Amino acid sequence: MLQVENLTASIGGTPILKGLDLSVGSGEVHAIMGPNGSGKSTFAHALAGRDGYEIGGTVTLDGQDLLAMEPEARAAAGLFLGFQYPVEIPGVNNMYFLRTALNSVRKARGDDEIGARDFLKIANEAMELVEMKQDFLHRAVNAGFSGGEKKRNEILQMAVMQPRLAVLDETDSGLDIDALRVIASGVNSLRGPDRSMIVITHYQRLLDYIEPDFVHVLVDGKIVKSGDHTLALHLEDHGYADFVNHDLDGSGRPLSGAAS
Amino acid sequence: MTTGAIVTSRAHPASAAIIEQVGAIDLPTKRNEAWRYAPHAKLSQLKFGSAAHDSTALDSTTLDSTTLDSIPTLDGPTIVIVNGVVDQSRSNLSSLPVGLSIASLAEVANNDPARLDRHFGAAITDAFVANNVAFGTDGIVIDVADGQRIEAPIHVIDVVVPGDTINAFCSGVVIDLGPRSSATVVETRIGANNDAAVVGGSNIRTTITLGANATLEHIVLQDLPANQIQLGAVEVTQAEASEFRGRSFNLGAAFGRLAYRVELGGDGARTDLSGLFHGRGDQVLDQQITVVHAATNCVSRQSYRGVLDDESVGVFNGGIDVLAGANGTDAEQSNANLLLSNRAEINTQPRLEILADEVACKHGATVGQLDETALYYMRSRGIPADEARRLLINAFADQTVEEVGLETIKAWVMHRLGHEHE
Repeated sequence: MLQVENLTASIGGTPILKGLDLSVGSGEVHAIMGPNGSGKSTFAHALAGRDGYEIGGTVTLDGQDLLAMEPEARAAAGLFLGFQYPVEIPGVNNMYFLRTALNSVRKARGDDEIGARDFLKIANEAMELVEMKQDFLHRAVNAGFSGGEKKRNEILQMAVMQPRLAVLDETDSGLDIDALRVIASGVNSLRGPDRSMIVITHYQRLLDYIEPDFVHVLVDGKIVKSGDHTLALHLEDHGYADFVNHDLDGSGRPLSGAAS
Repeated sequence: MTTGAIVTSRAHPASAAIIEQVGAIDLPTKRNEAWRYAPHAKLSQLKFGSAAHDSTALDSTTLDSTTLDSIPTLDGPTIVIVNGVVDQSRSNLSSLPVGLSIASLAEVANNDPARLDRHFGAAITDAFVANNVAFGTDGIVIDVADGQRIEAPIHVIDVVVPGDTINAFCSGVVIDLGPRSSATVVETRIGANNDAAVVGGSNIRTTITLGANATLEHIVLQDLPANQIQLGAVEVTQAEASEFRGRSFNLGAAFGRLAYRVELGGDGARTDLSGLFHGRGDQVLDQQITVVHAATNCVSRQSYRGVLDDESVGVFNGGIDVLAGANGTDAEQSNANLLLSNRAEINTQPRLEILADEVACKHGATVGQLDETALYYMRSRGIPADEARRLLINAFADQTVEEVGLETIKAWVMHRLGHEHE
């Protein structure tokens, strides 16, 4: 579904992603973990199409050249980015925003727009998923929301947009354990054979709730290690030290804590 | 005063003397602070005259009927003024409610000139006030009797049809609300002929008197064609515990100038002014606001928002004058601006003069651009860039539009801006 080959990204001549390769199959959940500054968020925004990067390499989603598209076209192609820091938009009603987003994507795909009544049904189902109250829809987008409400709103949007590929950037940051549980259960209920996810996180904690099929370690703009979910447990115990400033391919040195 | 037929007639006696002076009053220059950002070259192309005295200047049959199609339709009394003269055939004053009387200014000047002493007796502050007094021989006089609450909005529509010899016209609007009465008046100001080569404009002076405990909502929709000029002056005098809500939408014209002077003359009076100016191309949209606190315990609010695109220029010059003895004054002023282009310009200036004690005065101004992060966020949700921009501008403008009590006007403004209400 998603093919990332030799992706590079730099800002003002400073390289951040240095040749990232990743292949995500349909229905798979991939976790990307890495220390601060390793390029996790840059990867997310390079996929979503934020301005300001010099980009190299190729990224295809279902065979379409993602890097050639504007952000809105990427959304229409089925990409969704859950923001680490959801943006406040005072004066724009949450429901109107959601419906405009959904209908923009439908229009781009040649589907009929959804009327207000039918949309309310979709929104209500999505709100149940993240345990949100009705008044949520009538507030301005993220304006004055608590940290937890903002993250729930991201998952609500994801549930409404029904993306083909969801990239969740540090969705767990700033959440208490109850909010984390709600959000993880929302995400889990959206898993399916036709939907893939990339879950970006600094901590293993989120992966207790959303069990990934694959875990990748991103260090200094490259994926340096891939494995199954047990790799995340290793990182939890030993941190990223094994992967920073070491030549993993050459040394053959066992990972910290591994039986020798 | 009659309420049915409107007749046009000669001017108020005061205007004859003023006509003599007009030639002697110089046009304002850039050195005059209140006219500093005006496009003086364009102003000098205006050729004022009175259609009432020159029948060639009034050929309202040439008024394209589509000109009036673009304005809001309100279900109340409607007065249409074409080239400074009331057009009876296009006005609708049938079945006026009890307590409301509407007559042409020319008629009142003829029958009861003393009634207009305040309107014509104003101090001549610049050439355009002189112009208005001299040539504004017609217009409309609206009276609401004591204690009467007029529900239906009164719509005054002023249309300019520039001619060859005379291209600019003056009119007057006089609104008097008796004690404890209330009303809503909408002034829509437009022009015919969008031909870029045809210069023209209107100079409209509104004088408003509110009796004790009276409440007026007064809305100005300024939407002249891009080649024309609007010079508007609104002068308000408020008695004790009266309330004035002044809303202005300064949208059209090459130069749109709306000058308000509100005098809070009775204790406990309240005035709430808000406005939106939205410029494109090389428009200059100028708000000159002065609120005078001349009595105790009065409240005033000024809240203006500017959206400026292309090379347009916005001006907000907002004054709060608190006279000696006006204790307990509570005055606030704010001006927020959104610049959509790096060539657009806003000039914002507070003027505060406080001569009383026990005064609470606040003022603030902001200038910003569209939030790029918000645009990206919306686009990442599939909303096209243009639509995302529209939503953000809409959200900014909406806070001013929401102040309007009339749904029809709200919808019209949002439609006019290309920002339909959801």
